[in-house]
Amino acid sequence: MSCQEYQRQIVLSLYEELDDSERAGLETHLLGCTGCRQSYEEHNAFCNALAEDKTAWEFPSDLLVECRRGLADQLDRIETKRSWWRMPAFSVVFTPMRMLESATLIALGLAFGVYISNHQVSAVGPSAGDSPAAMALSAVPQNSRVSNVRIVNTGSDTATVEFTGDVVQPLRFTGKLEDDTTRRLLFSALQDSMNPGSRMQAVEVLARKSSEPSVKEVLIHALLNDENLNVRLKAFDGLKPFADDDDVRAAFMQALMSDPNDGVRVAVIDALAPFTKSEAMANSIEAVTRNDDNTYVRLKGQGLVHSVGDQR
Amino acid sequence: MEAVLRRAEQAGYDSDEEKLLIEQAQSGNREAFEELVRKHDRDILRLAFHMLGNREEAQEVFQETFLKAFRSLNRFRFESSFYTWIYRIATNVSLDHLRKRQTLKEEISYESDTETNPDRPALKDTLAATTYYSNPERRLYGREVGERIQEALKSLSEKERLVFELRHYQGLRLRMIGEIMGSTEETAKNYLFRATQKLRAQLGKV
Repeated sequence: MSCQEYQRQIVLSLYEELDDSERAGLETHLLGCTGCRQSYEEHNAFCNALAEDKTAWEFPSDLLVECRRGLADQLDRIETKRSWWRMPAFSVVFTPMRMLESATLIALGLAFGVYISNHQVSAVGPSAGDSPAAMALSAVPQNSRVSNVRIVNTGSDTATVEFTGDVVQPLRFTGKLEDDTTRRLLFSALQDSMNPGSRMQAVEVLARKSSEPSVKEVLIHALLNDENLNVRLKAFDGLKPFADDDDVRAAFMQALMSDPNDGVRVAVIDALAPFTKSEAMANSIEAVTRNDDNTYVRLKGQGLVHSVGDQR
Repeated sequence: MEAVLRRAEQAGYDSDEEKLLIEQAQSGNREAFEELVRKHDRDILRLAFHMLGNREEAQEVFQETFLKAFRSLNRFRFESSFYTWIYRIATNVSLDHLRKRQTLKEEISYESDTETNPDRPALKDTLAATTYYSNPERRLYGREVGERIQEALKSLSEKERLVFELRHYQGLRLRMIGEIMGSTEETAKNYLFRATQKLRAQLGKV
């Protein structure tokens, strides 16, 4: 097992998540490896410091009371709604109450869906004389899709029903990159966790404006957090021309330390190389890469320190 | 916190008393359900408050969690512990709230446009508001370490933060966290390691 792999063991051991054999293996390794022993001590100090912060970590004392009261109210409302189903006369006729309730809710949902798909909705807002149903439908524009529909309140008189849900409309928009709406759409695409293709395209487009602080910050976030390698690489490409910026260099250092992909780490070293005229920077890169499990990354890190030495 | 850890240790299995309560609640006994709520509500509220960072949303998550549990209790088949089951609901509800907050497409603007739309929150503020540490009440503690951790937690992905919260602050075992996430212990270990590495990189020597 390499020192890099022992780093993971060190963290897990401090959280008491190693089994006996793993712990014994780690302890043996620590006895013979100064670097990992030092890393263990640093991690230990770090975890202890974090643990101190736990003491200031409680919710306000009145919040639990408030939550319990709110929940009790909600349960009361649910029970009130259900209570008439439980009257003896009903229970004789409608024995499977829950099935009936479910069927009623499904029927309501279907009726609502059919109603939406079959009716033209006025583009004009509701007038004072509109019925509540018309007012609700006016919030659902034509060609839109309704999802996550939930019934939140059937009303005490059972004559009204209150819904919540999401209205999704088809969108086609053309705008300049500097426009606010364009930016908002691109930022939204970047947050679409289900669609790495969209995130990659968004990063690619935003990268044309990476000199702007807000875009730069978003690209840094993508570089450090996106689970998709291609998105991270696109973000890196966008940031690379601005490696003389302190924030960008700090992000690169962090990527060098934590990105799981060897290619990204190598690319980051290359991008940082022009800044290693500063001995401190070269030393930092060497320190970060010293325990990297990829030999090439380690060699590149050491190479930077040597080249600084040769220049002197 | 010790109580949390003790609870977490015991959480892998339901006692006979708890099984009885669950069965009674499943047959419609509200008192039994409320008894179950009281056994777990502190932990759920602690998680919600820390993940969402403000009392209003924490309260919403609290209620949504237990109402979902109430409505779907009949589907609980004792295949996992009740503690794991309720935590799974709470973490899903918390993550949904975080995602909704971060994808409020109509209200998102990265930098606030104070001239044309002063009421619209900036994305960076929306994102910054996603941790307990950004709560004004928390700031009252005025702890330098806490504020630095606040900054550092922003660098974690959603799941890294969740695993870190559940392990570090809630004291849950990684095996259980894996179950809660519908994943494996190994995956939870990876998230914890990455989270710790990122936090160390951000915080250096706290």
